[in-house]
Order: sequence, then C-alpha cells, then structure tokens
Amino acid sequence: MLRYLKYTFWTVFWVLVLSFLHYTLPQRDIVRIVDTEVRRVDFGENSIFWAQADTGQDNEGVNRDVRFINAVKENGRIRVYRNEDTGWGWPPYFKLDSSNLQTEAADLVSESRANPQWVILTHYGWRNEFLSIFPNAVGVRATDDPNQRLIPWFNILVLTILAGLALGFFRMTQWFRREKIDPILEDVGETWDAVDARADDARDNARGVWGRFKAWLATWRGKPRV
Amino acid sequence: MILGLIRLNIAALALMLIVYFVLSIWSRSVRRKKLGEEWDEEVQTGDRAAYVEEGLEDYDQSLRRKLILGVFVVPYLVIGLLVYVMNFQ
Repeated sequence: MLRYLKYTFWTVFWVLVLSFLHYTLPQRDIVRIVDTEVRRVDFGENSIFWAQADTGQDNEGVNRDVRFINAVKENGRIRVYRNEDTGWGWPPYFKLDSSNLQTEAADLVSESRANPQWVILTHYGWRNEFLSIFPNAVGVRATDDPNQRLIPWFNILVLTILAGLALGFFRMTQWFRREKIDPILEDVGETWDAVDARADDARDNARGVWGRFKAWLATWRGKPRV
Repeated sequence: MILGLIRLNIAALALMLIVYFVLSIWSRSVRRKKLGEEWDEEVQTGDRAAYVEEGLEDYDQSLRRKLILGVFVVPYLVIGLLVYVMNFQ
C-alpha cells in the first residue's frame, strides 16, 4: 500500500515540476504577425496566469488593458500572445519593455499572406481556451527561413544548472542525515529497534484488508514450475 | 517600480542568507572531515584534534571560504544581465 502512495506522490511531484518548468521556461515560435492590439481584460479565476501592469503603474485594479500579438505559424495554426511586463515579479524575465516590444511587433506585421515576414517570437506560458490564458511574448526578431531548427541553448543551460543545484541539494541532505541525524538516531537506536520489533509483530498479526486482497489476488497466479 | 524592487530584494536576500549559512556550515564540515582523514592517512603524528583545528583556521582565511560570498553577488549579476538583455538589446 505504501508503495502505491509513494508512486502516486512521485508521479504528482514530477508532473508538477515538469509543467512548472514547461510553463516558465522560454520557447520560440516562428510565425508571421498578423495584428497587434490592446484590449481590456477582466481577471477572474485565471488571474494567476496573467502578469501585472507595466512596471511603475498602479497594479490594484481588477481589470486593465493588455497588449496582444496575433500571429499565424507556417502550417496555418494560429497563435495569440499577450504582451505584459513581468517587472520584478515572477517569472524572473525582468521584462520592462512591453511597449517597445509591441512597437517592434507592429513594425514586423506581415503585409499579406503572399508576402510573409517571418519572425522568431520568444514567449513563455500556455494558451488555454478553457481558462482564456495566453503565452506572454518576451522578444521578437525577424528571420527569413520559417523552417529553421532552433536549438534551445538557454533552456539547456538553465536545466543543467537546475540539475546541478538539485544534485547539490540532494548531497547536502545526505550529509545532513549522516552528520546530524544519524548520531541522534544511534542514541535512540535501541529504543527504536524495540518499537520496530513490536510493529513487525503487530503487522504479522493483522494483515489488513489490503494484504488479504493481495493474497487473494496471488491465488490466481500460476504456481511456479519447479 | 520601487515596491516591486523592494519585494524582490527582500525575497532574494532571505533566500541568499539561507543558502549562504547552509553552504558555510556544510563546507566547513566537509573540510573538517577531510582534515581528519588527512591526519589518519598521512600525518599520524602529534595531536589529531589540534591538526584539524589548525587546518580549519587556515580554511577560514582561505579564498575558497570567501568564494561562498559569491552567493550574494552572482544572483545580482544575473539579474543585471537579464534586465539588459531582455530590455535594452
């Protein structure tokens, strides 16, 4: 039983960590921009998926105007980005130049479908229609080739550093356990052994519903051939 | 602007202080263990405890010890770099 709890815990843990990283780390799309606009947004249940007002402005209101960049990929799929300051908050992009970015995007709008101006648009975040959330654009630059392969060097660097930090943290907890906790445990070791033995006895006496169910399941298995 | 910056600084300082103290204690402990092993394997003369204490005093003066202060410097360099690259390039 405890084993399944453990599997569930680690599955949930990794799903959370990976979706957090997938949301926060930058990704790049090659798109042609079709429009830039500003519209008012009333934040509701989805408010944690929105950033904040431009740095230095009042951030108290329940609604404000948000800049948007509408774009289309080469395969015809549409992409809608919001363009908000992250300021000094989370995620730590320290983006203060939304107005400038909006101007750059407006400058790169494709005049027609026949004559596309491709751009590499860096963004983080997710588009979700159910929550009405949009990825936040953080940078844009023009390019000629819509089919080029982009290698995410920045993400490789960040993930490597994170893995190193996680390893360091893991080693430090091991050190902490060895140097600080084990000596204490040794002192109470004998008491603990006694408790452990008693728990083992108790477990043998009462297998519990799950144990009996598993034993029943085991009766369906083939007998090992000798 | 100012409020956001203050909040960022408080959060960053709190985090950096924790990391700094944990790293300091950990590094000193590792040094202590290494000095003990060094005495066991190579020196084997004189007082083991005194040898370890002397080594730790040297360590306290060392560059390696002071490098841990980078915990306070590196994040601000990274922030500065990010602000420049994200907004002014």
